[in-house]
Amino acid sequence: MNFEAVIGLEIHVEMNTKSKMFSPAPVTFGTAPNSATLPIDLAHPGTMPTLNKQAVINAIRVCSALHMDIDRELWFDRKNYFYSDLPKGYQITQNERPIGKNGHIYVTGEFGRRRINITRLHLEEDTAMQHHFYDYTLLDYNRAGIPLIEIVSEPEIRTGKEAADYVDKIRSIVTFTDISTGKMEEGSLRCDVNISLRPIGATKFGTKVEVKNINSINNVAKAVDFEIARQNEVLLSGKQVVQETRRYDDALKETVSMRLKTDSVDYKYFTEPNLIPVKLTEKFITDAIATCPELAEVKYERYMQQLGLSEYDASLLIASKETCQYFDALVTLGVPAKIASNWLSGEISSYLNKNQVSIEIFPIKPSRMAELLSLIDKGTISNKQARDLFVHMLESTDSPAQLASKLGMMQISDEGALLQVVTTVLNENTQSIADYKAGKDRALGFLVGQVMKRTMGKANPGLASQLVKQELDKR
Amino acid sequence: MSYLDLTIKEIHEALVARLVTPIELVKEALERAKANTDNAFEIILEQEALAQAAMLLEPEVDNMLWGIPYVAKDNFSTKDIPTTGGSNILTGYVPLFDATVITRLKEKHAILIGKTTLDELAMGGTGKSGHKGKTFNPYDKTKQRMIGGSSSGSAAAVCAGIVPFALGSDTGDSVRKPASYAGLVGMKPTWGRISRYGLFPFAPSLDHVGFLTRSAYDAALVLNALAKSDKYDATCSDTPAIDYTNSINQPIAGKRIAIIEEIVKSKHRPEVIKAFEAIVEQLKNDGAIVTIVKFRRDLLEAIFPIYITISCAEATSNAANLDGIKFGPATWGTTYEDAMRNARTAGFSELIKRRFVIGSYALLRENQEVLFLRAQKGRRLIVEELNKIYQDHDLILAPAAPSIAPKFEDKTDQLSDEYLIADNHLVLGNFGGFPGVTLPLGKLNDMPFGIHVMGRPFEEGLVLAASQAIENHTGLRNMIAPKEVNL
Repeated sequence: MNFEAVIGLEIHVEMNTKSKMFSPAPVTFGTAPNSATLPIDLAHPGTMPTLNKQAVINAIRVCSALHMDIDRELWFDRKNYFYSDLPKGYQITQNERPIGKNGHIYVTGEFGRRRINITRLHLEEDTAMQHHFYDYTLLDYNRAGIPLIEIVSEPEIRTGKEAADYVDKIRSIVTFTDISTGKMEEGSLRCDVNISLRPIGATKFGTKVEVKNINSINNVAKAVDFEIARQNEVLLSGKQVVQETRRYDDALKETVSMRLKTDSVDYKYFTEPNLIPVKLTEKFITDAIATCPELAEVKYERYMQQLGLSEYDASLLIASKETCQYFDALVTLGVPAKIASNWLSGEISSYLNKNQVSIEIFPIKPSRMAELLSLIDKGTISNKQARDLFVHMLESTDSPAQLASKLGMMQISDEGALLQVVTTVLNENTQSIADYKAGKDRALGFLVGQVMKRTMGKANPGLASQLVKQELDKR
Repeated sequence: MSYLDLTIKEIHEALVARLVTPIELVKEALERAKANTDNAFEIILEQEALAQAAMLLEPEVDNMLWGIPYVAKDNFSTKDIPTTGGSNILTGYVPLFDATVITRLKEKHAILIGKTTLDELAMGGTGKSGHKGKTFNPYDKTKQRMIGGSSSGSAAAVCAGIVPFALGSDTGDSVRKPASYAGLVGMKPTWGRISRYGLFPFAPSLDHVGFLTRSAYDAALVLNALAKSDKYDATCSDTPAIDYTNSINQPIAGKRIAIIEEIVKSKHRPEVIKAFEAIVEQLKNDGAIVTIVKFRRDLLEAIFPIYITISCAEATSNAANLDGIKFGPATWGTTYEDAMRNARTAGFSELIKRRFVIGSYALLRENQEVLFLRAQKGRRLIVEELNKIYQDHDLILAPAAPSIAPKFEDKTDQLSDEYLIADNHLVLGNFGGFPGVTLPLGKLNDMPFGIHVMGRPFEEGLVLAASQAIENHTGLRNMIAPKEVNL
């Protein structure tokens, strides 16, 4: 029997707002444990939630990017349960009325480009971070209360590749809009996958397994594909899939059972009485959307339509927000788009790959890079020299012009000076002149090479070639 | 005579005239607090109060609360001062911050001399469920009568003449019922008029900060100090506050007063009804237009079950933070479940646990529709009925309680007419967040009983004006329980 996979994703995005969702405490990452907390984050009696406006603006922007219906009133609910990482004994979330409903995005996978519908997007708060040890657990409340958006897809994804692309698309939206760092490895973007199998053509869903702890987009695809294969094997051997929560083990490259999922927990939801429903005006919503930083798909179109980049170049750039920022800066500084794009995908990208660093800490800032590229444009240095200069710039804070002159790299574009060199070279290579006259074009290249050699590569190659040809014709 | 036996306004005049100093007032208040035998105090703040009073040298003519000693119910968060909410689950808990109302009074240089007893986590109306046991009514020297709750110690401290005002909280009638039993003015303004930040929650949709004074005018000036918006409480209103000591003087001639027939006809002591009717006549003479209105009886009878369902449901969620992990006495176990279960089993009394079970039960998925959501619907219907009355009337008047303070041993039939309506109608003000004041109406066997005035949201000024008119007629102003012999 053939099965098809039914996959739904729940994504939690941790926002990098200044303060927390319902607390004025700062949102920090990597600071000393329990240093970014206020009494409310530890649920001290009498503390009360106040709403973070920027978090609402962020949610509206993501809703807009996902083509969702945006609720005109904000409602919050309490989700009640006891757990060691949950300070209040309840989480403030949006159960009854999520801020966003009925959205979609397109993913690309084995079945081409497909629309995946998105059920809901809602605002909520994060829990404390737990550090488990052998016989005790430490709690870090810095994370307690950090704003989250949760995005729930319809169970319409079919393969690991589609699931990975879905996560990548969401990651792109939240990073390009500056809402989150979107780093799965750091937990600022977390993804739970629900997977079940059913006979092709069946309408009823099979038993669902939830997979957690996936720490990269690549592993989304791997975890899904592994789980599909595992369930396939279970079903083909005539057994039943067990309803459970599994985690993806990066070392084993498999999903591993965590706990059985019995009847779902009753969270005893009710409306949060300490937050009066907030009306969202049309102006507030349109302003939030209008002032939203440019999304990747908008940049992609602009790079092709307005800057004339190829589809390939544009798609390379939009893979990362930081690369786009670098590129946009170069273009703003007057660097032609194609040249900026070539350098980013060439020299810069190979440096970053070789050193395993991100462009945010790339030592050459766009302003210095633009200077370097303008030296080529003015003919001051050659492309080859520029590549050498690039290597030196990585180690120096000098301006490219200073560095070029220090390294004696300034290109000789003075016709008189070059002509002297050309004359000397021709005088020393009479055999080559003869070869050239006899129709051997290779001789021309050899002679230009000699000029470059004698000038230690500083001759303007175009001008050198032109002068050699001109002088040869005279002889 | 001691200056402590005066109203805030009178003490203020004495302070300004330098007839008395804050330190003298505080010293005497502390003495009285220590000598009190009604179990009014969780903690007496001798050093803190004396230190604060010693700083106050120049009387502030325009600040009526300057140098005035007061007490706060022990469910207001007070920085560096142990606060238990009357529950063992918070034994030894020292808050990290001041409740907004505590801050406001500090800014006014009022002096907190103690924290007062209450029903555990303010969940009760008898003043006997707190972890320190029964709080007694200072009017009853035989210590048989309750003062009511849950703001028990606050009411006892004001009516015993220890301080001229006290902070309390009112979720059902926890300020206004004790006020009736203690011969005091007890006010709960509109929901959102005073910040609740730092008030240990019982049921946030019903919780109000309230206060107890010995005159309507004093209530107006305490309200002046507390009514402000607050960025720490998202439900606190931005509606500008007014000078309530001004609006208290407005005439009530031409004001339309409604009396709900089903409430006054429910079982009260005849003396209470007689005094009530006498006041109504006098208000009519003042030019008020009084109308008897009808109210759906089934809704009135549903007040108590609706209240219990909603308040317990919210309470079970609010108290979920009390798990022994972050603060309060820790009772560890091998798992987090054990740790929480042990702390909560040891920390809460049986009565509170019962309320949590009721609340949880009402919120369960299979019960929510028929219990919690149905109760919310009932609440909405009741508020709609009240709003209908407010379309044609400015105020609603009623006896505050069926009788004088009951004895601890008295049994109440919770399904009786007396209990369901006469003893529970003050909750109407919490359902709709309407401002309400209880003030003395009369005495029976030397025990006081009160009358209740309720108005439209944010019309505290009018409620106080009516209260002042009533006070003028009864002459029951600045009532203090007879002092203990040999004090």
